[in-house]
Amino acid sequence: MEKIAILLVVIVAIISTWLIGKWYYERKISRILNRLSEMIESAKNGQFRESTYDESKLSAVESKMRQYLLESGTSKEQLSKERDEIKTLISDIAHQTKTPIANIMLYGQLLDEEGLSMNGKTYINQLNHQTTKLSFLVQALVNSSRLETGIIHVTPKQQLLKPLLQDIIQDLRPIFNEKQQRIDLQCGIEQASFDYKWTKEALLNIVDNANKYTKEAGKITIKVLEYDSFCRIDIQDSGIGIKESEINKIFIRFFRSKEVYHMEGVGIGLFLTREIIMRQGGYIKVASKPNQGSLFSVFLPK
Amino acid sequence: MNIVTANALKKYYGSGTNIVKALDHTTLQIEHGEFVTIIGTSGSGKSTLLHMLGGLDYPDSGEVIIDGQSLFTLSADELTIFRRRKIGFIFQQFNLIPVLNVYENIVLPIELDGNQVDEEYVKEIITLLGLKEKVYNLPHQLSGGQQQRVAIARALATKPSIILADEPTGNLDSKTSLDVIGLLKVTSDRFKQTVIMITHNEEIAQMADRTIRIEDGQIVGGNGYAEGQ
Repeated sequence: MEKIAILLVVIVAIISTWLIGKWYYERKISRILNRLSEMIESAKNGQFRESTYDESKLSAVESKMRQYLLESGTSKEQLSKERDEIKTLISDIAHQTKTPIANIMLYGQLLDEEGLSMNGKTYINQLNHQTTKLSFLVQALVNSSRLETGIIHVTPKQQLLKPLLQDIIQDLRPIFNEKQQRIDLQCGIEQASFDYKWTKEALLNIVDNANKYTKEAGKITIKVLEYDSFCRIDIQDSGIGIKESEINKIFIRFFRSKEVYHMEGVGIGLFLTREIIMRQGGYIKVASKPNQGSLFSVFLPK
Repeated sequence: MNIVTANALKKYYGSGTNIVKALDHTTLQIEHGEFVTIIGTSGSGKSTLLHMLGGLDYPDSGEVIIDGQSLFTLSADELTIFRRRKIGFIFQQFNLIPVLNVYENIVLPIELDGNQVDEEYVKEIITLLGLKEKVYNLPHQLSGGQQQRVAIARALATKPSIILADEPTGNLDSKTSLDVIGLLKVTSDRFKQTVIMITHNEEIAQMADRTIRIEDGQIVGGNGYAEGQ
């Protein structure tokens, strides 16, 4: 009887030791896993630091992780530094090309006034024409490199839309008059949060396109609508429209529709426009059908 | 990089003369960060397609690969966890928990997964979606548009690989729809989030980087740069 009791006690003791051991072991594992999860989380945020320096394996893992992060961080930094340097170089070259081109144009015009022979006149016309093209391309390059170098620094502030839209129409009045197009502005006292200078550039691109792709005596309407979180600016033209298959491509850098390949342009305008609007927390959408005009809707946050 | 690939998805209902081809060898690729809308008439197979992409339904044949993982090789339990971590859902019904406030609803999927809430990130989503003043409100105190914004925040909170939205504006008027999806668009741009959305609202479809048209279970066209490249 006594023997059985002792045996029972021994068995209970073994089982309980085993259970306690298991519980302790699981707690330890769970602590390690929690620490590992924490380490990864802080590494993701770029704030990883070793928590202890002792002889434990976990401490060794921490050290290795710190080392790995440091190395991969360094190479990433190096890469982005090199990329920035290339961007700056391109931007510099583009800027410095502007002066020689302006000079070529100037001397071309001076030469034109020199009383050249018939052939000479033809050649100088060609020369001037090509230089104008080159100047346009360089301007486009400057614009795109501005984006790359992150010069677009928008500082949106709450303001009225009407002055901006009137300013844009004022700027483009000559080219509208040239094509005898009517431009209609419907805008009240709507306010939105935007950067005046950059938003003007963004919208100028759209309105300029509306002029370019609408025939003579056509009509362009600019209308402002108000939503809960956004202000919507509709720019409706009566131009050639866009094929469905191309609607979303028009915002891609350097995209040019085959339909308008003969027109001047390099496919940077709308890319820039979308980029500017996006950086201000807004978006653009387009509705269009061939020969029925295009409707660009710009949404700016309120 | 493709975040979603669907290969020759097939799903037929019925048999013989009554056969309905919900999906008929549908193939599709979606790039990381794209905002894609799927449009089609009712019964065209668009909901079936979205359900397959989200692993909510099994195809007769074909495969779906999300973030490098083939969905239908996973067990039911694995698929549940995969969905919770990798896929955010937004439905026509907002499916908010009525007894939890806005903030609790938003962080619920994070806590379900036993993870710590990235306060900074959640705060930014809440601000972007214009819910800052509403975090302590209960769902029934919000308008439809606000409730759907909470559902969007909840879908974004776990930083999923993709967000699937099935007619998210079905219960909203057209003006609110444009507003809510505009916020989804801006937020997904901000966090480079991939969104696949079913809609029959043409205006909303125009906001997408790409629109996929589906008819009788087949992709019949649409537009966008991913196809041409």
